[in-house]
Amino acid sequence: MKMKNLLTATFLLFFTTAFAQDEQAGLNKWYVPDHVKLQFAGNIGFLSAGPGYISRNKTLETDLLFGFLPQKYGGDALVTITAKTTYSPWRIPLKNTLNLVPFSLGFYLNYTFGPQFDTKWPSYYPKGYYWWATSFRPGAYIGGKVGRDIYFYNKKKKAELYYELGTYDLLLISYVQNPKYLKPRDIVNLAFGLKIEL
Amino acid sequence: MLDVSYPNHLKKISVYAILVTAIASFSCNGIFQYNPNQVIFRDNEKNLTAKNIESIRSIPPEDTVRFILMGDTQRWYDEAEYFVKSANSQKNISFVLHAGDISDFGLSQEFKWVNEIMSGLKYPYLTVIGNHDIVANGSASYRKMFGALNYSFEYGNNKFIFINTNSREYAFDGSIPDLNWLRAELRNNPENKNAIVVAHVPPFDGDFDRNLELSYSRMLAEDPNVKFSLYGHQHSFRNEEYYKDGVQYILSTAMVKRGYFVITTWNGGYKAEQIEY
Repeated sequence: MKMKNLLTATFLLFFTTAFAQDEQAGLNKWYVPDHVKLQFAGNIGFLSAGPGYISRNKTLETDLLFGFLPQKYGGDALVTITAKTTYSPWRIPLKNTLNLVPFSLGFYLNYTFGPQFDTKWPSYYPKGYYWWATSFRPGAYIGGKVGRDIYFYNKKKKAELYYELGTYDLLLISYVQNPKYLKPRDIVNLAFGLKIEL
Repeated sequence: MLDVSYPNHLKKISVYAILVTAIASFSCNGIFQYNPNQVIFRDNEKNLTAKNIESIRSIPPEDTVRFILMGDTQRWYDEAEYFVKSANSQKNISFVLHAGDISDFGLSQEFKWVNEIMSGLKYPYLTVIGNHDIVANGSASYRKMFGALNYSFEYGNNKFIFINTNSREYAFDGSIPDLNWLRAELRNNPENKNAIVVAHVPPFDGDFDRNLELSYSRMLAEDPNVKFSLYGHQHSFRNEEYYKDGVQYILSTAMVKRGYFVITTWNGGYKAEQIEY
């Protein structure tokens, strides 16, 4: 499938799920996601989207995001899948339905598809020749979000906008070993996202 | 009081302006990253081999040419900055040769950092691809930032031939190094200039294709224009006639070991000085 089609499919999937009209009886089954997310950047794709779950006390979110990076923007077309968990200990209610989550902390594990990326190095390498896998990339981030109720065709939805400042293992190692040349801003990148509760 | 005097929309615009400026100034490498394996470069980070050859040639060569051989910057940025400082204190240098392993993880981000550091040199630099530069999307990044993996250029009485010798990265499939290309480059030397082959993995290293070692070393030995050949990879200095065949193999050490070679060539001779800083 063309990358453009994949992007369109992501958008469609996200919006049709997020704004599904009918409240079905099955929606409270355990496996039905609590929310969907759409994210821009953050080393897990140009755009990524997918379902997620939230803990009962509303502090821990776990998401599964499918990401795409079109060749036009990335120099190479890359498809990824990411599992991420975000912990947000505080929620501050503001006026009306507005609320603020001042601080979040999270981790992710990202997998990039492609024959040039290895999980287990081929047998023609001696053991430990390269110590890292090129397909899996673990990362961490801090961030925050604002949320409010929105109405879509008279249906109330909770929506949240979030940002994340993150890095990943290989950049972190580079930074730790080169405190003179590398500054925190050299290894940190920014992501934005939208979360809609189902 | 300020709040009252500002119309609402102006206030909004200034907030946006501050936000945009903050994001833009946050990182010169791009605040938004889409994938560690992305191959995104600014225009001044592309085609550096061609650009740097042009800049080397803009100064007419003398009979004697002096240049620096260094290599293996991989993840030693602080040390690479010390190298630049030391290299800039050398006299009459025409250019710097990076013997490969520019990056450690084959990430475009690493290539950018090393290029930024090497841009602090008073001289242009040229590279040859190392095994770490081929990992993941590394060779795509190398091609975009520098250019072809095998290339040559002439300067004064010298023909420099850069060749990819990282056989292990190609599963020792017999294609790397490309001996047909090397033979053609050595033959295409009508003025019998000093032929200087530059690569990352030396032929006697385990990462060089065993089935090609003999053909490669013989090809160099049988060419009267080849007196010495330049490498990196082993993270230690070496300067010996390895095969006792008239060809001197000169290996520069890694950045972490703080050393490099200053090489001087002239018609019929050369000198390699080992520098530690």
